[in-house]
Amino acid sequence: MKINRLQGWMRRIGLYLAILGPGLITASADNDAPGIATYSMVGSTYGYQFLSIILVVTIGEIIIQEMAARMGVVTGKGTADLIRERYGVKVAAFAMFTLLLANLGTTVSQIAGIAASAELFGISRFIAAPLAALIVSFAVLRGSYKYIEKILLILSLSAISYIITVILINPPWGEIVKALVAPSFEFNPKFIVAVLATIGTTITPWGIFYLQASVADKGVAIKDYKYTRFDVTVGATWGNIISAFIIICTAATLFVHGISVTNAEEAAMALAPLAGNWANILFSVGLLGASLLAVSVLPLSTTYAICEAFGFERGLNRKFLEAPVFYGIFTIIIALSVIIVLIPSIPLFPLMWVSQFLNAILLPILLILVLKLANDKHLMGKWKNNLLQNSLAIGLTILISLITSALLITSIIGIGS
Amino acid sequence: MIYLSQLINQNVWDGFGNIVGKLEDILIDATERKMPPVAALSLKKNPGGFDFVPSYQIASLWPSITLKIGSDRIKPYSPSGHELPLLDRVLDQQIVDIDGRRLVRVNDLQLARAADHFVLTGVDVSGVSLLRRLGLEKVGRFVGSIFKKPLDTVVIPWEFVASIELDDPLRLSVSQNKIVKMPPADIATIVDELDRHTTTALLEGFNDEDLADTLEESSSDLQMTILSNMNPERAADILEEMDPDEAADLLADLPNATSQILLELMEKDEALEVRKLLTYPEDTAGGIMTTEYAHVPDNLTVHEAINYLRQSKDALEDEVMYYVHILNQDNRLQGIVTLRDLVMADPHSDLDQWKEPDEIYVNPLTSEKDVAYLIAKYNLLSIPVIDPNNNKMLGIVTVDDAIDILLPTAWKKRLPRLF
Repeated sequence: MKINRLQGWMRRIGLYLAILGPGLITASADNDAPGIATYSMVGSTYGYQFLSIILVVTIGEIIIQEMAARMGVVTGKGTADLIRERYGVKVAAFAMFTLLLANLGTTVSQIAGIAASAELFGISRFIAAPLAALIVSFAVLRGSYKYIEKILLILSLSAISYIITVILINPPWGEIVKALVAPSFEFNPKFIVAVLATIGTTITPWGIFYLQASVADKGVAIKDYKYTRFDVTVGATWGNIISAFIIICTAATLFVHGISVTNAEEAAMALAPLAGNWANILFSVGLLGASLLAVSVLPLSTTYAICEAFGFERGLNRKFLEAPVFYGIFTIIIALSVIIVLIPSIPLFPLMWVSQFLNAILLPILLILVLKLANDKHLMGKWKNNLLQNSLAIGLTILISLITSALLITSIIGIGS
Repeated sequence: MIYLSQLINQNVWDGFGNIVGKLEDILIDATERKMPPVAALSLKKNPGGFDFVPSYQIASLWPSITLKIGSDRIKPYSPSGHELPLLDRVLDQQIVDIDGRRLVRVNDLQLARAADHFVLTGVDVSGVSLLRRLGLEKVGRFVGSIFKKPLDTVVIPWEFVASIELDDPLRLSVSQNKIVKMPPADIATIVDELDRHTTTALLEGFNDEDLADTLEESSSDLQMTILSNMNPERAADILEEMDPDEAADLLADLPNATSQILLELMEKDEALEVRKLLTYPEDTAGGIMTTEYAHVPDNLTVHEAINYLRQSKDALEDEVMYYVHILNQDNRLQGIVTLRDLVMADPHSDLDQWKEPDEIYVNPLTSEKDVAYLIAKYNLLSIPVIDPNNNKMLGIVTVDDAIDILLPTAWKKRLPRLF
């Protein structure tokens, strides 16, 4: 009896390890360079106030990612596949065009993040950025996906550096618990922008595309779906714990000294005099790891989605000539990003802004499409959304749409800035 | 050409010009593999109450969807279970090749009017159709013209898209490179069954070479319609691409004034060949012969002969080159070497020792029936045509032209195709 149970456990762990990955990687890549920048910004500006928002975002991310993963398992297709098949060329082309532009911008921020963290270690960006791009392209394009996934999972461990930093800083835990239990909000444009940025860096269009495509590609059987769901839940929770630690890290040091930062490398540098040199190094390690992870995943997910939408061969297990469009788009995204980062006079900030703006427009639209797909009986059968999933997801979609349109309106009539 | 994407959501009108509803989908009869007929139109739920209109009540699909009868006389169509809804199941679906590799998605579906009904002809996979559905076709064509890269329409004939009983994706039944270019004879078959208007539209998307190949396989009726609807410069370009014998046949059918204009517009060399052929009556050896055949001078070794052929323009344009003709300085035929012997022979041996003295030939005025008879009798692959006055060689009649004489075109099409 006992041995049987043990064997059962072993088998289950083995299965989980085989299925594990997509959820954890997606969530970890959310803490990429723009992510860290956002958390540093809110942590240094609003202190612990955003911890309760992170809690809400975690639930939201689990709901959305779970829908995408479920669709991947049930249909065996990617999100872009389904959008094209159910909504036709126009919707698919709009989504892909926006995704491509938005992700090009985000990839630029990842490369900039790599360059910045390398410079914190005293390595020139003219060496670091091209080198990182080469290594990533080589690993992603030449390796098999199974092995890349393992590397990505190891990279996601770099986020532990934030936990170490926080432990070393030893923040006032009582205050943190208080902020979590008694949330407080401000109703001014700046605060709302910060909320939207936090949501937008965690619940991302590319994350949805990536998660569904990689779950579909793993060919997870429907009976093993529970492991995928576990992966998604654990991943989102882990990713957001890290986000919370970054906020705590900056809130406990920068916020209390009244230093407000707007990006990750500023945060890292500002940490040094307040928390010691090691904090700077740990912060940079986290930034480098997450940027490398995201720069591997983002162009890949974009390329994957575009190829799905237009039906071209995609996938890493094909040779170059078998999937020329796939490799072509991937290479162009990476190369262009490196060039943009290395041109000295190009201001990166407006570019990031455009990219975030596009993501903010795409996200609610994508959520509506995903919601409709996840409720399609023809497609999902008995796996379509249940009442609880629907009410949570619809609520979240409405919330995000409202915040987005409020933001768009204020930025158009010029109240926000 | 009629495209599914242009029909969906359009108003459906009855015979009296009243709107019956909007088109939701088109059902085809999936049991027919080659060019499945439209079985019914599926309408969006309307107050009138019927969902499907049977195909025999359709008067036209393009430019507007019109029924033959008043809305009160529509016979509701009840699906038999063999129908395939095109929008729902085919449009935008993934196409994979024999090995399961993703190729492209179904960007549009091409429908056409056959004699008295509508058929699905093929699956449009080109970027042009993608642009059309995005409303950017004109922009695309403009950009294409800047880069001197005209946008081609790529259509996979429906019969190559394997049966749909299996779910998605759609699997091709032939390899990818085979479908990019439909065999000209196949296009010709499809084209012959379509109405003239559709055909002209379909063929406009072709480049000169493909169009020339297709025209060679088409009925003379159709050849004339297409050429006479085209601007003369393009028509001349296409005639140049065609084999001289086919071009001459076509020109002979056209009004004299028209063919003179076209000949003027053609390149000098090509026009000269065609003019020569035109002097012979159509149903004689001279009328059906081609002047492009492989020939070499005499007194060469096998090695030299092969080298000569490689740089010879006539040999290059010889459609099949089963035989190599040895000519002396005065263009008199000295003998024939089969390609097989040429390949098998010792390269340094004398070509003359491999030649077969040629006793079977015809003169340009021999009737085409007799030519075919000789070819059949002696199992030839081609027969030389020789001028009886000066014994100069003029050209050859190939076996495929002889078959055309023996088998009327209609019968040729019904023969099983071998590919």
